[in-house]
Amino acid sequence: MTHYKICLWIAVCTTLFLWTSLGYTQGPTAPSNVVAKDTPNDDGTSITITWDVPADGSGIVGYNILSSIDEADFTQIGEQLSLEDVIDTKTNICNYQDTTVSRLNAFTYIIQAVTESGDTIQSQQTESVRPKAQIFHTGKIPLFLAMLLFSAAIVGNIYYVRSGREVFVRRIPGLEAVDEAIGRATEMGRSILYVLGLGGVSNVATIASMTILGQVARRTADYETPLRVPCNDPIVLNVVREMVKTSYLDEGRPDAYSEDNIFFLTESQFAYAAGVDGMMLREKPAAIFLQGTFYAESLILAETGNSIGAIQIAGTDSEAQLPFFIAACDYTLIGEELYAASAYLSKEPMLLGSLRGQDWGKLFIFGLIIVGVILELSGINWITTLLQNVR
Amino acid sequence: MKRQIPLALCFLFGVVMIFTQFSPHPVSKSIYERVISGALIIGPFALVLATITLIQTHINRIQRRTEHWGYSFVVFAGLITMVAIGVPFGPENPVFVWLYTNVQVPMDATMFSLLAFFIASAAYRAFRARSTEATLLLVTALIVMLGNVPVGDLIWNTILSWTGFENQASAARGWILDNPNLSARRGIILGVSLGVISQSIRIILGIERSYLGGGD
Repeated sequence: MTHYKICLWIAVCTTLFLWTSLGYTQGPTAPSNVVAKDTPNDDGTSITITWDVPADGSGIVGYNILSSIDEADFTQIGEQLSLEDVIDTKTNICNYQDTTVSRLNAFTYIIQAVTESGDTIQSQQTESVRPKAQIFHTGKIPLFLAMLLFSAAIVGNIYYVRSGREVFVRRIPGLEAVDEAIGRATEMGRSILYVLGLGGVSNVATIASMTILGQVARRTADYETPLRVPCNDPIVLNVVREMVKTSYLDEGRPDAYSEDNIFFLTESQFAYAAGVDGMMLREKPAAIFLQGTFYAESLILAETGNSIGAIQIAGTDSEAQLPFFIAACDYTLIGEELYAASAYLSKEPMLLGSLRGQDWGKLFIFGLIIVGVILELSGINWITTLLQNVR
Repeated sequence: MKRQIPLALCFLFGVVMIFTQFSPHPVSKSIYERVISGALIIGPFALVLATITLIQTHINRIQRRTEHWGYSFVVFAGLITMVAIGVPFGPENPVFVWLYTNVQVPMDATMFSLLAFFIASAAYRAFRARSTEATLLLVTALIVMLGNVPVGDLIWNTILSWTGFENQASAARGWILDNPNLSARRGIILGVSLGVISQSIRIILGIERSYLGGGD
């Protein structure tokens, strides 16, 4: 009986040993769970193939991707891929994006695992996939909703103000000083220099600057103060000429408008700075407006204006240039104040309403930041995850 | 009609261009590219008009003998030379390239280098410690400037080695730039972004129409 038990134990142990040994020395297995899908949120020019990560010690060192177009023969796409190329460490899954596809064909794939010795094992072929172009990028839904919400806030507030309700607009010293600057130039009998910066006509800051220029031109038309506008962009030049001309016409002073005062200098950044500096030193304008998009030339212009003693009102959305303007100019419109200027100066209800809507947007973001910080401190991070996933 | 057609076009293109930002479809991409390239066509025509105004301005200066009117001849000499070489022989012509790299580039560099002196004079005015805020600005600027140069850490490690911390000048600079400075900048950027969206909505809806000429 004892011999029988010993023999049984030996048999069981031997079986287990052989079984486990076989398991460890088992060769590489074929890639499993291979799925080919149309890549979401793209223009229909890629297919994503996913499959399971190989087991440790499987001996797999890379993969070949084989594709078949419209059930024709399989051919390899590109070079052999290493494990690092295909393993997504976040999801722990292998994936490959085939960007050689066309929306006109259907594609089938086989993943071929390659071992250290160069042997290959193929997966089963995937189902046939035809890439599709998506009309709407679903990853941008939060962004789209935010845009709709913000637009609705602006439009709603425009209607609110149109109904005759009063809107409080905080005092902006830089814009309050516009009349003072124009008055000073008039009293001194000198010109006003208006610099629109280096932005093109598609730049929103340039458009905001042009609307301020329109308001300034109305006042200079009244006072008959020469308004000089050197332009850096040919299209801006033509728009500005029309705008200033209309402002003079609206004020009933077409005779005071001189087209020669609005002219093109150059498109080159520093040549433009040199030209404007030269004008400042020669003509010594009493007031200088620096409104729009500025780069490295901002301080060159503002310091030269400061050196001639002109009253300077600057405004830009280029946050890197703001310290220079603050240091060298009398008044500076910081960021959003530039966009509020047209509403502030014209006092038009429709424009004031949009300012109120803008403030609602700021309030919403402010609230989101506070809630986000509190949730993050409490270990709940869905707001940060949501914002990180917005593309 | 003179106003309504441009406003309608502005609304149409504004809405379509917004939608292209949310659609990866090839048709959407194609519309976006076509509109952008269409806008580029206007550039050359506007440039001709702009060049004419430049010539007119300088002719007037010469005729009126305004101050430094002689420099207007330099403008014409430069314009004629570059057009005479650039138009028939192209921008790859060695003489054209030589003139660009040996005349325009050094002149641009000269203007740019002036910035260093302007920064010094602006900094002198801004950093005069006449109030608490200006003093705070001065101290902060000193720390950032010292942290930006290797000698800052050397000074710290030599004079303040007793504190037991090393290279704190650059660490302090990093903290100032990454915390209070970045927070303020992001605040400005958020305000600017909302301002841009608001301005764009006003333009698309035709509320802001002063760019068409006049405010009405």
